Amino acid sequence: MSVDRIRSVETGDGAGVESVPALSFSDVTFAYAAVDGATSAGAAATQTVLSHVSLDVPEGAFCLVVGDTGSGKTTALTLAVPAIAPVGELEGHVAVFGRDVDTLSVAEAASTVGYVFQDPEESLVCDTVWHEMAFGLENLGVPADVMRRRVAETSYFFGMGPWFDGDVASLSGGQRQVLALASVLAMRPRLLLLDEPTSMLDPIAEKSFLSALFRVNRELGITIVVATHRPAPMVDYATMAVGMHEGGVRPVDLDSLRGPGDRLSVHGSPRDGDADALMGVIGRKAESRPAGVRGRCSLSLSDVWFRYGREDPWVLKGLDLELPMGGTGALVGGNGCGKSTILSLVAGSLRPRRGRVDVASASSVAYLPQDPKALLVAADVVSELMEWSGRGGYGPGEVDAVLSSMGLAGMGERHPYDLSGGQRQLLALAKLLLMRPRLLLLDEPTKGLDLSARDQVADVVRSLSDEGVSVLVATHDLEFARATADQVSMVFDGEVACTEPPADFFADNLFYQA
Amino acid sequence: MAMPEHTAFDTSHPAVAVCYFAGVLAITMCSAHPVVAAVSLVGALAFSALSRGARATLSGLVWQVPMLVLVCLANPLFSASGSTLLWRWGPLAVYAESLAYGACMGAVLVATIVWFEDMARVVTQERAMSLLGGVAPTVTLMISMVSRLVPQLMRRAAVVRTAADATCVADGDGRPSRSRTRLTSVLLTWSLEDSLVRADSMRARGWGASSRRTSYRRHDFRTSDGMALAGIVVLAGVSAFLVWVACSQWRFYPTMPTLVAWWGYIPFAAFVALPSVLALVERASWRFA
Repeated sequence: MSVDRIRSVETGDGAGVESVPALSFSDVTFAYAAVDGATSAGAAATQTVLSHVSLDVPEGAFCLVVGDTGSGKTTALTLAVPAIAPVGELEGHVAVFGRDVDTLSVAEAASTVGYVFQDPEESLVCDTVWHEMAFGLENLGVPADVMRRRVAETSYFFGMGPWFDGDVASLSGGQRQVLALASVLAMRPRLLLLDEPTSMLDPIAEKSFLSALFRVNRELGITIVVATHRPAPMVDYATMAVGMHEGGVRPVDLDSLRGPGDRLSVHGSPRDGDADALMGVIGRKAESRPAGVRGRCSLSLSDVWFRYGREDPWVLKGLDLELPMGGTGALVGGNGCGKSTILSLVAGSLRPRRGRVDVASASSVAYLPQDPKALLVAADVVSELMEWSGRGGYGPGEVDAVLSSMGLAGMGERHPYDLSGGQRQLLALAKLLLMRPRLLLLDEPTKGLDLSARDQVADVVRSLSDEGVSVLVATHDLEFARATADQVSMVFDGEVACTEPPADFFADNLFYQA
Repeated sequence: MAMPEHTAFDTSHPAVAVCYFAGVLAITMCSAHPVVAAVSLVGALAFSALSRGARATLSGLVWQVPMLVLVCLANPLFSASGSTLLWRWGPLAVYAESLAYGACMGAVLVATIVWFEDMARVVTQERAMSLLGGVAPTVTLMISMVSRLVPQLMRRAAVVRTAADATCVADGDGRPSRSRTRLTSVLLTWSLEDSLVRADSMRARGWGASSRRTSYRRHDFRTSDGMALAGIVVLAGVSAFLVWVACSQWRFYPTMPTLVAWWGYIPFAAFVALPSVLALVERASWRFA
């Protein structure tokens, strides 16, 4: 089966030497149009995001665009896709393959430039895999026979056969992102833009997604531009890199991006002072609650069996787990191994079929779901934090203190959805901490966060532990587990395979390494 | 959920299956004749056992049989007519004809339900959509989006509840109405936010680029499908005519004629038994290959 070249002769890539860059920005300056209400956050009437950006990405390149959250990476990428380009004032020219993007029709643009979004949960449209694959081609009015060939070729290329007949809902996160990539590639773009494509994936899924992307680049010759704040895993695949900082762009040496860019320090970062201030607020009140006796378990699961439905297989098979009072436990393990199920059992939303779940402080548990949006209900940050003030017995003073200690000062008026992903996670965490929980359950708290937000979450978790709050965190982020936990448990085959202090745990693992 | 059993409809175009079930259902629902009802019920149950499994069929009967009995016993309450008086409680007279009519209607009702269950198993949503896809691609897409988003909404609702309950359960002043308003509000904001990204994702893939959407065709309509369809239409037509003849000669009130063996029932019986027979033949071909 030779499907090496999905991009066929139609695009005429045998034309010899091409000096036209696949993507070029010439002296691009962009400012978002003034939005009512944005001014209240202290922003200027118009917000300049890009200033005098010039960039050429040659055809066939694998280009990394690195930079912190808010440095304009996403804006720059979307400017190359007219259908989703942001509204604002644009000076200069953005061109793909020598043509100004404004002159492309919708159909031309869609089959020249492909765009893969950060979160496949949001960007996938259809319920079944085959329909998602066909979606773009149906939009373009491609005849059924051509469509079948392209869909077939693309699914062979990505080895999607085994799950081609399935529902999108039954796919793992990694498969969903591959599907998002494949559904774009079925339209045969010559340039592929990806915005943080692996930030929602676990490390193993990330590796397989990147290798798929690498094949797309090298075997199909498709130009790839990836915006990322964590370039280390992609450096080996990339051919060039540019850095974005405060709207400017400069070339970056690939080798400088190598190395452990995502190290978290075990002993805390300079931001510690803020976290201490937070504890000043939370901790003072916590004393008024009956503190558990040190050394007792804050939670214990013994011989827990659980399955979701009568016909379903067992998810947990005689699982035992203990967490000492004030300890921080991390649950690690592959997709679908039951980490989230354990959290739901501890939270009390599920009941074990057999066995016991004992939580010492069942009356003060807080649960942070994978997506913090599940906790956010109000129209601005302050009312968000005040939602449970009656139940939690706190007031505006505590809210202000928590906001500033979390680095969210001045954001009180913003809508929670206008915050960055990291800020939103901290807001959800702040909302839970105001309830002064004795046991905090965190499900993938670093998913989709950039480095500084991840650092901040780690700081908060560490200081909670100092205050005697027990924390149970389910995570794929081994680095986070190493930096915050007192004990790491690997969940496998419905059981806890081992529970060890992080130093021993990671010393003894061959490839489960942080 | 267990894997669905294979049936003869697997290998044909969805239109064939839809046409077959439409025919069976129409004849069953329009008839009021004990033999027709019995034949249809037996056929529906047989195919149900073969396609959905004996266990699923029996677990359906657990509520379907009481329903049949209920309809049968309830009928004398509403129509106290007939000629054979069985017993009388005060103003309530129970006639044999009335009971028979109730039993017949109950059988038709249960048969209809079981045929629908069979059809749901054979004509999956995906097959139904591919039937629709050629005619109304946009409607098909909408159905596809809805059937992705509704379960997603349900899953999210569970997460929102878990998070709020876990954190607030201690205070014990759970007010369901309040929490339902809250749930709706959280889900609405969340979905709206999602829909912005989804809309971008759709536009970036050429949404609205062409005035006429095409449809990814998963099933070709072949000559064999045409022949199967023609056969089904002819058999359904003949059966319908003969069933109509039978029904027009039959009455429950005031007295029921005697049922006689009549060749005219055979086409309908054959029509009803067709998928079961094909399924059995297919299974036998595996066993005796």
